[in-house]
Amino acid sequence: MTGLGDRILGLGLLVLAVAYGWAAQQWPEPFGGAETVGPETFPTILAVVLAAGSLYLMVKPDPDAQWPLGKSAFELVVALVVLVVYALLLEPLGFVIATTLAVGTLSWRMGAAPKPAFITGLLSAVVVFVLFNYGLSLSLPAGLLEVH
Amino acid sequence: METLGFLMDGFAVALTPYNLMFALFGAFVGTLIGCLPGLGPANGVAILIPLAFTLGLPPETAMILLTSVYAGAMYGGRISSILLNIPGDEPAMMTCLDGYPMAQKGRAADALAVSAIASFAGGLIGTIGLIMLAPVLAKFALTFGPAEYFALFLLAFATLGGITGKNPVKTVVAAALGIMISTVGIDISTGTQRYTFGVLELYEGIDFILAIVGLFAISELLFFVESRMGRGRDKMNVGKLTLTMKELVMTIPTQLRGGILGFISGVLPGAGASLGSFISYTLEKQVVGKKGKFGEGDIRGVVAPEAGNNGASSGALVPMLTLGVPGSGTTAVLLAMLISLNITPGPLMFTQNADIVWGVIAALLIGNVLLLVLNIPLVGFFVKLLSVPPMYLLPIVTMVAFVGIYSISHSTFDLYFMVAFGVAGYFLRKLEIPLVPIILGLLLGPEMEKNLGHALVLSDGDWSVLWESPLAMGLWIVAGLGLILPYLVGPLLRRRMNAAMKENPVSD
Repeated sequence: MTGLGDRILGLGLLVLAVAYGWAAQQWPEPFGGAETVGPETFPTILAVVLAAGSLYLMVKPDPDAQWPLGKSAFELVVALVVLVVYALLLEPLGFVIATTLAVGTLSWRMGAAPKPAFITGLLSAVVVFVLFNYGLSLSLPAGLLEVH
Repeated sequence: METLGFLMDGFAVALTPYNLMFALFGAFVGTLIGCLPGLGPANGVAILIPLAFTLGLPPETAMILLTSVYAGAMYGGRISSILLNIPGDEPAMMTCLDGYPMAQKGRAADALAVSAIASFAGGLIGTIGLIMLAPVLAKFALTFGPAEYFALFLLAFATLGGITGKNPVKTVVAAALGIMISTVGIDISTGTQRYTFGVLELYEGIDFILAIVGLFAISELLFFVESRMGRGRDKMNVGKLTLTMKELVMTIPTQLRGGILGFISGVLPGAGASLGSFISYTLEKQVVGKKGKFGEGDIRGVVAPEAGNNGASSGALVPMLTLGVPGSGTTAVLLAMLISLNITPGPLMFTQNADIVWGVIAALLIGNVLLLVLNIPLVGFFVKLLSVPPMYLLPIVTMVAFVGIYSISHSTFDLYFMVAFGVAGYFLRKLEIPLVPIILGLLLGPEMEKNLGHALVLSDGDWSVLWESPLAMGLWIVAGLGLILPYLVGPLLRRRMNAAMKENPVSD
């Protein structure tokens, strides 16, 4: 079936719109009594608009996009894992080590040879670290490299 | 005359050595952003916002920096159009038509020089237009009530897809999503917690800066990973400058026409820089007629779209500064900076923050001169940067985005949030849901709700107040047209643009 992507998107958005609109009706009446425009008025309008849009997408979807399969999909997942791990390790390992690993891995996976990739990572990490910590006196985490 | 006085004050702000330094830096970085592969103007400005924020720059300096980047990016976009036949950004598409053939004939240096001059002329005309039009519009906008503002916001969303936009329903869906994200947090008027699910980090709402950086920068990285376009391009040879004074003088009328047309289409909602450069090019072809060699490297075919696109970029600042309603992605990002500096955009800015507004406008004039000076001698340097492979560049850009977001709050929670927005941005872009209405929704959502509330309180709950006044009615009608016209005119215009590209025999 063509337009599957838009149909799934429409379904997802419809669920979101209903949940969002329903949640808005559950809030307690604000202190001081109800007014014409309460906290739920605007979200309710939005839910209706989104629901209408999502129904349209399901009825008249656009042609599908090319979705990555196999190797590209794998590379995307790798890139995503790198980003999450980077955020995770930024504080424990410190900025320089975490950045060298993250930038290096990303460059390498995007097609650079491993050695120049990690050298790029190290160089950019050191430059940004020095610039921020000494030039602009904004502290980035030093982590393992911290001098006690 | 009053305006002239304000402008002088603006120059006094912009010409302080501190601000001048940031304008120069911004112009340089902007050109880089414009010419580097995979870094559009909106994207580049977005990454710089957290940095400008954490550096603790004073508001006028921060705005001067970002406006210079914006102007610079418009200059930079032409470089890869001319040398590689690959537009750096969408408005630079028309520059390919005659710019690339000129480069193939060994006149790359001339094309680059003349397009820099055309960009300067366009930017100058646009800024003069901005100076004349903005105060008038701001005064007019003071008569707007909450109902008119509400209608104006709707108009902004409706026309954001632009005349050439594909599916208006997707624009509507995107806008609704953006506004929905902006409702997360504690309601400002009643104090009700909305959609916080008891998570402490959500009480203050979702920071739009991290949403913007995630949606633009991270999704761009993912796109490059997917397409595996990591390899760089071959080095380019620019050759010698052979441009004569006579040729330059010949293009002056073209520059004027292009700049003015561009400015007009920049101001109009829904037109934007792409249409500005397209109209300038087409009109130029009509005016010159058979005498021209358009599509084979006519110098006027480079001048017209470049003047048009830079005129439009100044024009696009008019609605952003006077009404607080941006008409394009990059001006939306500039608006984000204003809001996070705690400045309420809109007509009052001209009286309450006159130093910022006029400082920015003066900086735009100075920036254009700086850009011209930078671009002619340094073009070789920028050309070298074109061959930097994205496989090194994009990871570093991503890292800078991480650093920027991290240094605002020193919280890794924000980083996960940013990555999540990046993934969402990737899927939305794949499904052709435009990102700019989402950003605009995030920014304008709270204002929209506030104005809706005010309007209904004033009318005692009568909803018809929203379209009662003739002005509000007019805005509703234009908004409606903005949604319907792309259906009728869009396919036609797009076909014309494509036809113009195909007529070109050198598209290889």
